[in-house]
Amino acid sequence: MTLPTDQHTEGKKNVTFRVFRFNPQVDSKPYFDDYTIPVEKGITVLRSLNYIKEHIDGSVSFRAFCQAGICGSCGMRVNGLSQLACTTQVWDVLAKSREPGIIKVEPLRNLPLIKDLIVDMDPLVDKMKRYSNWVDSTMPEAEMGKKEFLISEEEFLRYDKATDCILCASCVSECSILRANKEYVSPAVLLKSYRMSVDSRDSLHEQRLAELVKDHGVWDCTHCYRCQESCVKSIPIMDAIHGIREDAIESRGMKDTSGSKHAEAFMMDIEKKGKLVEATLPIRTNGVVWTMQNLLPMALKMIMKRRTPPPPPLVKSAKGIKIFRQMFREMTEHVKQDHKSHQ
Amino acid sequence: MKRYAYYLSCINESMTKEVDRSIDLWQKDLGIELIKLHEGTCCGGSNLEYVSPKHFALVNGRNIALAEKMGLDLIVSCNTCLMTIRTAKKKLDESPDLKKEINDILKKEGLEYRGTSEVRHLLWVLVDDVGLDTIREKVKVPLKNYRIAPFYGCHILRPSTVLGHDNPRDPSSLDQLIDALGGQTIPYIHKNRCCGFHTLLVAEQESLNVAAEALQEAIDSKADFIVTPCPLCHTSLDGYQSKALKHAGVDSSIPVFHLSEMIGLALGYSAKQLGIKRHIVS
Repeated sequence: MTLPTDQHTEGKKNVTFRVFRFNPQVDSKPYFDDYTIPVEKGITVLRSLNYIKEHIDGSVSFRAFCQAGICGSCGMRVNGLSQLACTTQVWDVLAKSREPGIIKVEPLRNLPLIKDLIVDMDPLVDKMKRYSNWVDSTMPEAEMGKKEFLISEEEFLRYDKATDCILCASCVSECSILRANKEYVSPAVLLKSYRMSVDSRDSLHEQRLAELVKDHGVWDCTHCYRCQESCVKSIPIMDAIHGIREDAIESRGMKDTSGSKHAEAFMMDIEKKGKLVEATLPIRTNGVVWTMQNLLPMALKMIMKRRTPPPPPLVKSAKGIKIFRQMFREMTEHVKQDHKSHQ
Repeated sequence: MKRYAYYLSCINESMTKEVDRSIDLWQKDLGIELIKLHEGTCCGGSNLEYVSPKHFALVNGRNIALAEKMGLDLIVSCNTCLMTIRTAKKKLDESPDLKKEINDILKKEGLEYRGTSEVRHLLWVLVDDVGLDTIREKVKVPLKNYRIAPFYGCHILRPSTVLGHDNPRDPSSLDQLIDALGGQTIPYIHKNRCCGFHTLLVAEQESLNVAAEALQEAIDSKADFIVTPCPLCHTSLDGYQSKALKHAGVDSSIPVFHLSEMIGLALGYSAKQLGIKRHIVS
């Protein structure tokens, strides 16, 4: 049976790939090259790039290997969004393209560019080393190979999803804080750190955590959830970041860093008033000196605009605070019981 | 008149009082009544969740239970409160054990979390319940002379597994509302990016960089103002604006309006009535 003509055209389209080009050895600045090729439904961005390289321009450079969403090599930005070229369908992207018929392909952000669509992964690997992103076994050397290291299903489930990470660096590319400061630990490294730290076979927990709570570490995450939203394996990365923070508060106390002091203020204020006492939040987070040095000019402007938060005595407690406080403290007892039964 | 329970966000009761003040001015004009939950408590601002997951569930289960007792949906006008309370709702709805544990405590106050009330942003209520056509009809002063940069903020979009109203990659509800009010949206790459608020006290330089990028794009695009549905984004983009732009070496400024103020302007209220003069950047 012959298919109607419109179905023939629906099954194949001419698509323009606007590819980022930059060879630092010859180019003074980056530019884009347009390659228009016929693409059938079901073809991925990676297969299209392979076609361009084989048939039109052999100089287009990108990294790829498994073509099946397993190796994580072909992370790149397709129409602005970091993802794997090998699992991204051209037709799906086209449906949402701002410019009809055009797909823009660019390298990942937040990593140094090597050439065209290839970025240097070394800074990420260096951070994985700095934050000990591996399990260093608690088993004595003499016992290794002689007995099994059994892991309960309950424990495995705590890091099951985190082990799905293929280090494609899409989350790294989308991270708001890394964009602002390249020293930041990065979401992928936080995820790996969490995965290793909750593993009962690991002996580096304290050492890793001590590094994670330093400047540019876990407390610098600004909760924008861009990492999680772009994860090609749908890993709840923020759960891992929250997990490290919960661990830091439990293992190192709430006075350890400005991040933990900031978090503690919420807990205390809710118990006391049911409301956040914003006026003293900077002082409780960073101390008087930091607050005076950093926030005084802004505080003066806020006073002029009658915008300053009320001082603690003037923050009205939530209605019915007495019974709320009793319930809050009852939950504190539950939490204490939970901790005892886990010990 | 459609009724809703209205959650009082800490920041709107202290630094950004103009948000609730402006909503109070126009809510009846648009046929909605927001009943303030004075018994509600701080949601934990995306921090309580990891300090103590169980207190987080109790506090926000209670916030929702207060609305459920009234038989109303809970409406929120701060993105982070929205994301936080919806996260707690998801956890409670997915865990019968956790739900039972908090309900055993909540019964002391005669409350029960059942999961019957939705937790929604004011923006969603305006677009979905009031409707863009109704809003268009009520406009007295169309914003036709304004080029507006819509800054959605993170926690009304992400994580999409918790929020799920707009496409986090290309949100449109605020754009549609601006259009209904007669304004012109500008193409704005930062519309779904971060304002840096949550690390202003912990990683200030990074936060200022993040804010400066969003401000600079709006300035370069010759927008007349930025509008945001989140008072925390407003604080970062307005309160910290001069510091952020100075830090980035930009010698310019741009006003930042709350969603509630922009609606108030289009409905004919004055800048003074709406509290716009309380902003740091005028």
